[in-house]
Amino acid sequence: MTPPSSPSAAERPIIELRNVTRRFNGLTAVDDLSLSLGRGMMLGMIGPSGSGKTTTVRMATGTLQPSFGEIRVLNEDPRRFSRRAREAIAYMPQLFSLYDDLTASENLNFVAGLFGVYFWRRSRIIRRALETVDLWDARDRLARNLSGGMQRRLELACALVHDPQVLFLDEPTAGIDPVLRLSIWNSLRALRDEGRTLLVTTQYVSDAEHCDEIVLLAKGRLVAIDEPEALRRRAFGGDVLRVHTERTVEPQMLADVAHLTMVRQDSPRSLTVVTDDAGTASPAIVEALRRQGIAVASVEEYQPSYDDAFAVLVKDSEKNGTGSDQPDQASGR
Amino acid sequence: MLKSLTRISSFIGKELREAVRRPGALASLILGPFLIMAIFGIGYRGYRDPFVTEVVTPTDSNLPTDPGYYEQLTEGRLRIVRVSHDEDAALQRLRNREIDFVVAAPPNAAEQLQAGKQSAVHVSWNEIDPVADGLAQVAVGALIHELNAEIIREAAKQGFQAAAAEGAEVKQVPPEVIAEPTKAETQNVAPSKPDVLDFFGPAVFALVLQHLAVTLTALSMVRERLGGQMDRFRVSPLNSMELLIGKYLAYAVFSLVISAVVAALLVFVLGVPMLGGLLPFAAIVLLLSFASLGVGLLISLISDSERQAVQLSMLVLLASVFFSGFVLPVEEFIQPVRYLAYVLPVTHGIDTLQESMLRGGIGDAWMLGALGVIGVVLYLGSLLRLRRVLRGAE
Repeated sequence: MTPPSSPSAAERPIIELRNVTRRFNGLTAVDDLSLSLGRGMMLGMIGPSGSGKTTTVRMATGTLQPSFGEIRVLNEDPRRFSRRAREAIAYMPQLFSLYDDLTASENLNFVAGLFGVYFWRRSRIIRRALETVDLWDARDRLARNLSGGMQRRLELACALVHDPQVLFLDEPTAGIDPVLRLSIWNSLRALRDEGRTLLVTTQYVSDAEHCDEIVLLAKGRLVAIDEPEALRRRAFGGDVLRVHTERTVEPQMLADVAHLTMVRQDSPRSLTVVTDDAGTASPAIVEALRRQGIAVASVEEYQPSYDDAFAVLVKDSEKNGTGSDQPDQASGR
Repeated sequence: MLKSLTRISSFIGKELREAVRRPGALASLILGPFLIMAIFGIGYRGYRDPFVTEVVTPTDSNLPTDPGYYEQLTEGRLRIVRVSHDEDAALQRLRNREIDFVVAAPPNAAEQLQAGKQSAVHVSWNEIDPVADGLAQVAVGALIHELNAEIIREAAKQGFQAAAAEGAEVKQVPPEVIAEPTKAETQNVAPSKPDVLDFFGPAVFALVLQHLAVTLTALSMVRERLGGQMDRFRVSPLNSMELLIGKYLAYAVFSLVISAVVAALLVFVLGVPMLGGLLPFAAIVLLLSFASLGVGLLISLISDSERQAVQLSMLVLLASVFFSGFVLPVEEFIQPVRYLAYVLPVTHGIDTLQESMLRGGIGDAWMLGALGVIGVVLYLGSLLRLRRVLRGAE
């Protein structure tokens, strides 16, 4: 975690939102959101439809004005980006917004020109961008003749074509098959490894594992922000163990075991246990049950899916009526 | 600077590529105006058929009953299909629209004349078209004029004959001269004698050129606004001036190529003269395109949908047809409406193109200036509006 106070230029966040709120005709699309993102990081923004992901991206790119709060990208106000900042930024919109009557490579050529890439540099970088999204063979096909998934990849290639340092990608993998999705995430990770900063929104919860950090949004509010694995742990309050026994077992039999935060009966011979540390809790559980004459058949660490974990976090957030993370605790590096 | 040129050229390339990708649209843009003009030139005769007329004479009169006699009095404006004696029946046929005119001779014309009184020739027609009504008035005026001249001719002839019979010495003035002491000898000193196609050709060309420029640009920018491309432009380093110049230049190239092809067809295929030469013609086309593109861009920037852009483009076309001098002369409108006419680029385009092509001059030079001013004002208006659209975050 990096506190946003007076960092040096090198440490300064590339993207920073402080208490940002956006309202549309009285409806709050984004509510008091704070986050910061350092160089060479990939932040995944996950949330159901209408959770404020696209609104956040549009505010960070300067196409939408926040109702309250402050946004800095490359240490500039997005509403007044300098040309240099604009040349360093890429934006991939959620919907296909390229030209149907141009071929894939002509669309890239146009976008490269928009960002001031000179003619003599274009052919090489267009080829590289198309190869990155596996569209080189379709370079001469009209955009209208590409499938939905290919059009998304073409949009992504357009975002990459001018070699940006900061990328705002609004659902880049929507409508793309799992194999190609993985390939795209590998490309995005490669961009991150080159030192670029990426803010990526997605509705696919399983995509979370590809990101360095995850922002979980629901109804415009920040539910949680952390590394993917930490969020999974946080959803269930710690490590989750599944205990299977040879005879009937009851939760109170583990009352004396330390560091257990939750014990739940799944069936007469199985329990789900949540603990701070699975490594020390597992032998203690086995010993406690053995002392009460119950042999343990198995103790397994259960890895809940991100879908389950985020569903729990969102549910908790709704129950509490506030986000799990306070805005001033939103992390970044 | 170099990057600005790169961005501008990107737009030009993109717009031209998109245009070339629609060969059907391109062909119709070039051939459409040419075909309209060709059909107009071939199909428009420039005159209307004579009014179908029935002459009613009193039963006891000795007036001629030969329709040919009356027809030669009307100089071809009326076609006499019948000479009858029943005015009521003739009027019923007029109401039934079997005939266009009923001309009823007065029952006692000779007595009235001898008594020093005018006789009334009753002429009736059944028209709701004000243009046809006007033509009918002219035809009646000519008929009465010719009728009076014929009466004077006849009276003069009889007078001379009577005087000669009584042995009086009179100077023999031909009855035709007495009836019509003066005649017009006409001369049109215009440098060309354009037929209907020649005269309307430049006007149709100007109207089509404006409509093309307005429609193309109006739709182009609306598509980009509604298609989400504007968000990409907002994030990119592109500024409103680069975008606007890119659009202007792309569509100017497009309009000028189409204009050149249509003009070549106009001159070399339809034979419309180009007395003023190529340079003034090109200058007018350039200014007209510049001003018309401004109209289209402004429409595209204030429209919320393609439908609205098309509707506004059609309104501009309608206003152009009515007020530009294409159909009705601008001078026939009241002053405030003339101002509206002068706001339309095509008003100046029609006037200057007709002057240049058919007279070999520029005519009212201020009209060229007006085209330039309209173009600059629309450019600045579009620029301001686009700046708000592009950089004014919602």
